[in-house]
Amino acid sequence: MKLIIADIENIPFEVHGEYKMIRPQEKIHNCIGCFGCWVKTPGICVIHDGYETTGSDMGKCSELIVVSRCDYGSYSPFVKTVMDRGISYIHPDFVIRKGEMHHKRRYKNVIALSAYFYGENITEREKWTAGKLLKANADNYDGKVKEIKFFESIEELEGIRV
Amino acid sequence: MKVVLINASPRNSSSSASLLESLKRYLDGQIETVELHCSKKVVSEDDLKQLRDADRWVIACPLYVDGIPGHFLSCMKQIADEVKSTPHVYGIINCGFYEGIQTDLALEILENWCCKSDYSWGGGVGVGGGGALASLPKLEPGVGPKAPVDKALKNLAETVLKNIPQKNEFVSLAFPRFLYKLAAQWGWRGAIKTNGGCAKDLNKRLS
Ligand SMILES: Cc1cc2nc3c(=O)[nH]c(=O)nc-3n(C[C@H](O)[C@H](O)[C@H](O)COP(=O)(O)O)c2cc1C
Repeated sequence: MKLIIADIENIPFEVHGEYKMIRPQEKIHNCIGCFGCWVKTPGICVIHDGYETTGSDMGKCSELIVVSRCDYGSYSPFVKTVMDRGISYIHPDFVIRKGEMHHKRRYKNVIALSAYFYGENITEREKWTAGKLLKANADNYDGKVKEIKFFESIEELEGIRV
Repeated sequence: MKVVLINASPRNSSSSASLLESLKRYLDGQIETVELHCSKKVVSEDDLKQLRDADRWVIACPLYVDGIPGHFLSCMKQIADEVKSTPHVYGIINCGFYEGIQTDLALEILENWCCKSDYSWGGGVGVGGGGALASLPKLEPGVGPKAPVDKALKNLAETVLKNIPQKNEFVSLAFPRFLYKLAAQWGWRGAIKTNGGCAKDLNKRLS
């Protein structure tokens, strides 16, 4: 399955095949940094506001597709909050990969990560940061980067094929 | 001349708070300091006023998923919209992984924010092994596993007092990585047992 995390209610492109979409329908509560998704209810966030299963949804996907405004080279607050709330995708224990500390896997799936960023005046520097962010996320999920693209507006996202 | 110390952790008792406390010791008496806690998505009117009144901001923030926590990204957007002054901004990012360098992206995001908002980026400190900071015994500054962190904070305090920029400095605890890893893993096992579970629940896969 494809898991799509988008910060807009209606994405202006079609998705082929089976997918689940997480988008700003309900108000999202921010992660409170309690690690309850690791040590209270492993695999699920303790805040039950409709976004608590992101971690286990990630465990079922082959592709993670992010559609986000680019804010300072980061995902937008909504998308980033969903990702913060989804850290139970990984296991709390540490492993060393390529000389650096990361987390162990909880699930077996290898995620192919793509991001479609939109926004006016995204600077070259912000694009550079966003590219590194995607790579760092893929390393931490023990997955890989598939594609990253930048668009000037939401309308331009129409051209996306996923 | 005033420094606002912004704690961007959502937690009440946090490593970010303890880092700011240490920094404050090096600033004390030499400049007025004000402390803010941005633990939610919205910055209060009072806090915005404090930000407008200061010429230097120090943001202490945990690393979340290689970047800035979602709630604080909202705060940053709000501040950029509502505070049109030109402060010097410094950052202290702490992360759970051992290597301080893993915080460089979060510092870069703060820098990009400054560029877009006409604030002056002053550089900062990236602290690895942050998960242990709050639980380490309180020793004299510069002694024990926290010594490299104290040294970096002392340098940062001098930079802040001079109101000049610095290069990002990355530090880890003076504590072997394999022991940090072990201690964390004991910690998770202890925590899940306290919550009535057992160690193997840590591996739970949901279908
Ligand atoms: C949602 C979430 C995501 C995190 N992501 C990372 C990460 O990508 N890399 C890392 O080293 N630590 C990560 N951490 C660990 C925190 O950075 C670490 O626990 C830090 O000490 C928390 O700081 P605080 O006490 O100031 O909130 C994450 C923690 C949470 C709750």
